[in-house]
Amino acid sequence: MRKRLGIISLFVILFIAFIAIWNYSYQLGLEEAYIPIEASSNVHAIPSESGVFKRSEHALDYEGMPIDENHQRSLTTYYKNRAYHGAPPSIPHPVDEHQNMGGQSCLKCHENGGFTGKFQAYAPVTPHPELVNCKQCHVEQNTQTLFKTGNYASVVAPKAGVNNALLGSPPMIPHQIQLRENCLSCHAGPSAPKEIRVSHPERVNCRQCHVPNNKEMTAVGTFKRAGNEE
Amino acid sequence: MQHSLTSRRNFLKKMAAAAAMTAAASMFPGIIFASEQDANLPKGGNLDWKKGPCRFCGVGCGILVGVDQGKAVAVKGDPNCSVNKGLLCVKGYHQIMCTQAKDRLTHALVKKNGRYVQTPINEALDIVANKMKETIEKHGKDSVAMYTSGQSTIPEGYVASKFMKGAIGTNNLDCNARLCMASAVAGFLTTFGADEPMGCYEDIDHADYFITWGNNMAEMHPVLFSRMLEQKNRRGAKIIDFATRTTRSSTASNKSILFEPQTDLAVANAICYEIIKNGWVNKSFVENHVNFSKGLTNMGYGLEDKYKFKDKPTKIDFESYKKFLENYTPEKVAKYSKVSVKDIKYLAAIYGDPNKKVVSYWCMGMNQHTRGTWMNNLVYNIHLLTGKISQPGNGPFSLTGQPSACGTAREVGTFTHKLPKGVVMNEKHRRLAAKIWKVPYERIPSKPTYHATEMFRAVDRGDIKFIWTQVTNPLVSLPKTSRYRPGMEKESCFVVVSDVFPTPTSDVADVILPASWHIEKSGLYGNSERRTQHWNKMVEGPGETTPDAWMTIEVAKRMGYGDLFPYSEENHVEEIYKEYTQFHEGAKHGMAPLEVLKKESGAIWPYVDGKSTQWRFNAKYDPACSNDKDFHFYGKPDGKAIIWQRPYEPAPEIPDAEYPFWLNTGRVIEHWHTGSMTRRIPVLHKAMPAAYVEFHPDDAKNLGIRNGEKIKVSSRRGSCILPASINERGLPTRGQVFVPFFDENMLINDVTLDAFCPISKEPDYKKCAVKVEKA
Amino acid sequence: MPIKSYLAHPEEGQKETLIKALSKIDHCDVIPAENEELLIVVTDTENKTDDEKVKASIESIASLKLLAMVSGFNTPKNK
Repeated sequence: MRKRLGIISLFVILFIAFIAIWNYSYQLGLEEAYIPIEASSNVHAIPSESGVFKRSEHALDYEGMPIDENHQRSLTTYYKNRAYHGAPPSIPHPVDEHQNMGGQSCLKCHENGGFTGKFQAYAPVTPHPELVNCKQCHVEQNTQTLFKTGNYASVVAPKAGVNNALLGSPPMIPHQIQLRENCLSCHAGPSAPKEIRVSHPERVNCRQCHVPNNKEMTAVGTFKRAGNEE
Repeated sequence: MQHSLTSRRNFLKKMAAAAAMTAAASMFPGIIFASEQDANLPKGGNLDWKKGPCRFCGVGCGILVGVDQGKAVAVKGDPNCSVNKGLLCVKGYHQIMCTQAKDRLTHALVKKNGRYVQTPINEALDIVANKMKETIEKHGKDSVAMYTSGQSTIPEGYVASKFMKGAIGTNNLDCNARLCMASAVAGFLTTFGADEPMGCYEDIDHADYFITWGNNMAEMHPVLFSRMLEQKNRRGAKIIDFATRTTRSSTASNKSILFEPQTDLAVANAICYEIIKNGWVNKSFVENHVNFSKGLTNMGYGLEDKYKFKDKPTKIDFESYKKFLENYTPEKVAKYSKVSVKDIKYLAAIYGDPNKKVVSYWCMGMNQHTRGTWMNNLVYNIHLLTGKISQPGNGPFSLTGQPSACGTAREVGTFTHKLPKGVVMNEKHRRLAAKIWKVPYERIPSKPTYHATEMFRAVDRGDIKFIWTQVTNPLVSLPKTSRYRPGMEKESCFVVVSDVFPTPTSDVADVILPASWHIEKSGLYGNSERRTQHWNKMVEGPGETTPDAWMTIEVAKRMGYGDLFPYSEENHVEEIYKEYTQFHEGAKHGMAPLEVLKKESGAIWPYVDGKSTQWRFNAKYDPACSNDKDFHFYGKPDGKAIIWQRPYEPAPEIPDAEYPFWLNTGRVIEHWHTGSMTRRIPVLHKAMPAAYVEFHPDDAKNLGIRNGEKIKVSSRRGSCILPASINERGLPTRGQVFVPFFDENMLINDVTLDAFCPISKEPDYKKCAVKVEKA
Repeated sequence: MPIKSYLAHPEEGQKETLIKALSKIDHCDVIPAENEELLIVVTDTENKTDDEKVKASIESIASLKLLAMVSGFNTPKNK
């Protein structure tokens, strides 16, 4: 008898607990959906600075990589793929999936690069893999003809090997770096154009020695003291 | 035929080396030789590479300057220098370009009727000497002053000290290192009784953790930072950035921890609290090698003229120190430091882990601090409590910003209270100086006079009637230049400025003397790791440019002290160095002989029996240890270092309703100090043409400020208009703005506060209250 | 005027010591390899006896494991 009573009371307790918990969770379920607002704004901290170090974890791999001389890009082919230097390159190969934005499929090859048998080339590495709407800026070339020809002014692209101020001093950065803050993605690895492939990718802190040669789009000129025009 | 013979020999040597390289490459595929850098140079460039230290910061990289037909045309890192192993930074690679600037000072200029007239240097030196003599006769010895530099070479600092203290007999000599290193010096002296770091750069190759305290090394000490990054990539060493502003260093670090300005004092104490609470104290080390002391508190901030302070140390015991720390639990400190409890405990756990080697690095963040000496003491406390000091990969390391802040300002002692060995207050030290200088001992005054800030206050008050500045640009670099510029313009003071380029300081000079630049003279520097570095003159300077040491000697001769300066013009650097090293003889500070310095890329003192001492105070490495224990802090009489009880005290000026922002100032990688050299290097100017005021994006949004917009930054002392910079080079915390100080066309030091650390007398450029509005 | 080049192998972990020791010797240039335990030594002396002296002093360095000559030149003596 006592045994049976014990079992019954145990079940009663379990049942009450069940009711209580079920009620509690039901009440919680009725509450308005609430997404807390982060008090601190999520500033993407200094992209121009943090970008430099983005691929630095691969620097030692880059250092050890052998050079595949038969499949390297050159500056000529690099620039040929752009309307002008600094313009987003177009997509020089057919694209299978036309519906998606590109992130998933493009990044498969262009996040870290690698050799593609089909194109007999190394896939260039994007300096900004966080921007996944690739085809916002990069488009295919589906025809060789023009709608109407025009007088596009041609901009002379910066040349390699002429950007040092002194004999043997480190070359300055002859291009804008917005969206191209990560130096290693274009200057290291097998897909880097051979003229601009860095001999010392393991150094990582690129802008210790290489600084942009102008801040604005116009030439800065040399230093002038205020009030001492000369 | 000498020329063709040597070039043929050089050719053969290259052939011989090339043959060996080929042989080596067959044995070790992929082998790299440092000298292959030569291969990139154009053939036929008949360059002669000359060795020296870099002109800029205190890291002291070895450089090789390529000289072609008497002109410096190239710079590369010296692969045989253990400091930088062949690497430099962008400033270093282009340094020689400034000498070619069009507005180089090539001749002496004397102000006559408001205009500068080119004058032969001999006449200009006559004028300086006569004026100095006349001022002393009329107003006494203490009416003349000299203000030199942590960029002065060792001989330049030495003759300045001998001239002022030994010949004239006044202590009116101070230098700009007061503005950058004084707190580090005071920290070393109070804790260890001996100045300068115990470790060396080789610590980088051994440490597991690098903790940087308010120090943007990626921009300010880039070559050392690159050595750290290399260890991070290859060995997995970790870099922790502890700062008030997100910088390039933060983005490259493993972790970045931000704190509210001035609360570093509290966080350091909280770390010590955690170390003791968790039983991470290295008990035997503390028992054997450490004493506990406390000093005076509520010291003030030196804002008033003729402010005086003297600390009174009292011995305490471990228990009362432990009790004191109870005010600094992580929970309490987190409230005002804005560092989370978790992060404080994280930092403490790194220092506390007996199996991890930790190096702490700092520079101006801790030194330019109204409690700078305390802050230095507090970081030493952490290392002393855990016994992580004076061992490879373990130790606190104070970095310097000027190439010879250690070698000249600190070791030669171009401060008002210093002598080449010891201080003027000490009779024994005065007697030694008098003996080596061959002057009557009574002539060296026993009382210090003006430290840097007070010296320029005295100029403003009219107490100093003659001042001579060398190798420095105080009217850009002093705090509160809004007071000191009008002060120096006053008729009451005759101003002599020796420099290489015109600056805002030379603009107020009565006589401008044209100085030789770095490689246009021979000299010696001393870097942060106690390394003494020598270089020989590499090229001729233009016009009548003259080495600073020689100008000082010429003036001394004209004033009748010729017998004290019996040096020859050609060889004065070596003669002076030989005389100077007598001061430091012995195992504790012996300097390497010139013959060694000429061959090697510098040597670290104490240099004993032909060997550099890399880790001082450690019996394994330091022959001066004599107490038969593992460690001997021989700077203190009982051989024990001191853990100081130092509380948190607020900054003198805190943002309020009227001036709601903190103002922080500093440098950028492209420019060095006041920019008088680096801005004349086209590459660097183009990369960083002007100063700016940096905002947190949220603050900018609230104020409706866009990038590049002109902003007026004003404090109670002055104002400055600069373009806004949002999320570009750096990211200050909310409620803080940052301005680099290199730009003489936008003088941010008109705005800063001239409060200083009462012990070290070093001003705080990192904290004052400002308001910002669109200009 | 003999000019000779050698490959110098340091004792295990003593590359830096060897570089230091070698750079103290006159008429002797050192080119250390950056990534291997190997140095190139080029000697440049006035005559045969000096050359032998230099070689002897190089060989007497304790941190040196092996010294192998690679090439040698002799400049004409009449200039």
